Amino acid sequence: MIDRALRNRDFQRLLLAGILCLLFCLPAFGLAVPERPEGRVTDRTGSLTRNQITALERKLATFERETTNQIAVLLIPSLEGDSLEDYSIRLAEKWKIGQQGRNNGVILLIVKNDRKLRIEVGYGLEGALPDALAGTIIRNEISPRFREGQFYQGIDAGVNAVIAATKGEYKASPKRKRSQMEAWIPFLIAGAFLVFFMLAASRARRRQYHSGSSRGWTSGGGFWYGGSSGGGGGFDSGGFSGGGGDFGGGGASGTW
Amino acid sequence: MSKVAIILIPLVIIGVLVVGAFGIYNGLVGAQEEAKTAWAQVENQYQRRADLIPNLVETVKGYAQQEKSVLEEVTRLRSQWGEARQSGDINKSLQAAQGLEGALGRLMVVVEKYPDLKSNQNFMRLQDQLEGTENRVSVERRRFNESVLNYNKKIRTFPGALFAGLFGFERMPLFEAEQDAKKAPKVKF
Repeated sequence: MIDRALRNRDFQRLLLAGILCLLFCLPAFGLAVPERPEGRVTDRTGSLTRNQITALERKLATFERETTNQIAVLLIPSLEGDSLEDYSIRLAEKWKIGQQGRNNGVILLIVKNDRKLRIEVGYGLEGALPDALAGTIIRNEISPRFREGQFYQGIDAGVNAVIAATKGEYKASPKRKRSQMEAWIPFLIAGAFLVFFMLAASRARRRQYHSGSSRGWTSGGGFWYGGSSGGGGGFDSGGFSGGGGDFGGGGASGTW
Repeated sequence: MSKVAIILIPLVIIGVLVVGAFGIYNGLVGAQEEAKTAWAQVENQYQRRADLIPNLVETVKGYAQQEKSVLEEVTRLRSQWGEARQSGDINKSLQAAQGLEGALGRLMVVVEKYPDLKSNQNFMRLQDQLEGTENRVSVERRRFNESVLNYNKKIRTFPGALFAGLFGFERMPLFEAEQDAKKAPKVKF
């Protein structure tokens, strides 16, 4: 058996699988993406004052209350050689800004020392904020201010432009999800089988012994029904929560 | 009691096994469907790129008539991709898409020579769209590979492997592992 497992072809396959794994895993080990923060605005570069962060937070929170669209801002010092787009999409996949189903999140990512920035747009806002518009916002609103060292003004202008573009946009995602029913079918069948057998068993027993002591059995079937409910994502309306928004790489990158 | 038990216990076991088998089979089908959907997403992004090309070619033409050959190549490869996609041959359409990617890359290098074009608002917007599309392609490509890896793992490992042979679930190829993963061709400006 062991000889067979080590056959030349199998070994080659194993080797190939290993190489493939390396190739595909490597990009996943890029610069670590921070955990989803408590606030909407995260400055890891010390470019913004506390008051400026609060002002931006308030604006974004108000916007979210009005439209459910979520905007998050992250400033980091450096990508440490990672690609801006790769980092940004990993960030988006981890933070999941935007409401589930609506996918209406936007992330403004600023890499200070690399002088790079990106507006990452969730699926649901790609119509209201297409790539060309995101690029224009970067070129006309953000970059000129950043060039003069005015980070708060640049972010504020960029956020205002994103808000103006996405106001009133509730477009749901066209992405298709597997129906809930489908997932339940095996359990339903299992339940039906068990109930059937238990009924048959209790009847048979009753017939044989004329005793009513079979109830303990049937109630056991309940375990099958109750044991399989998956926890749905709860939605908490206070603070910076929600989440579940999907991104597909839409948006634009720029420099200053 | 004993007679009933002898009949019932195997039946219950069979029932549980059958239900388990359904679950495994459905899991395989689900993984396969996911990979197919992921592939459709890659193709959607290729379509999106193809849709941008006529406008791009027109815009570049206005500034750089000398670059006729590159522009013609892009146009030609675009229609080639369209035909390949129509034919439904995945390998052919993939090849055409990559050829188109290369030609677009060359076009963007050529464009560097024309500062007027580069500062043209319309061109900048096209460039945003093209970059965005390339980024979407790479995102969807990665997701496709992830879903194929997941599916291939399912049909190669127990218990999925039992059903894979029985119902003809075949391995799906990854997206050009050797070339693409390393080079990750991107239209960069």
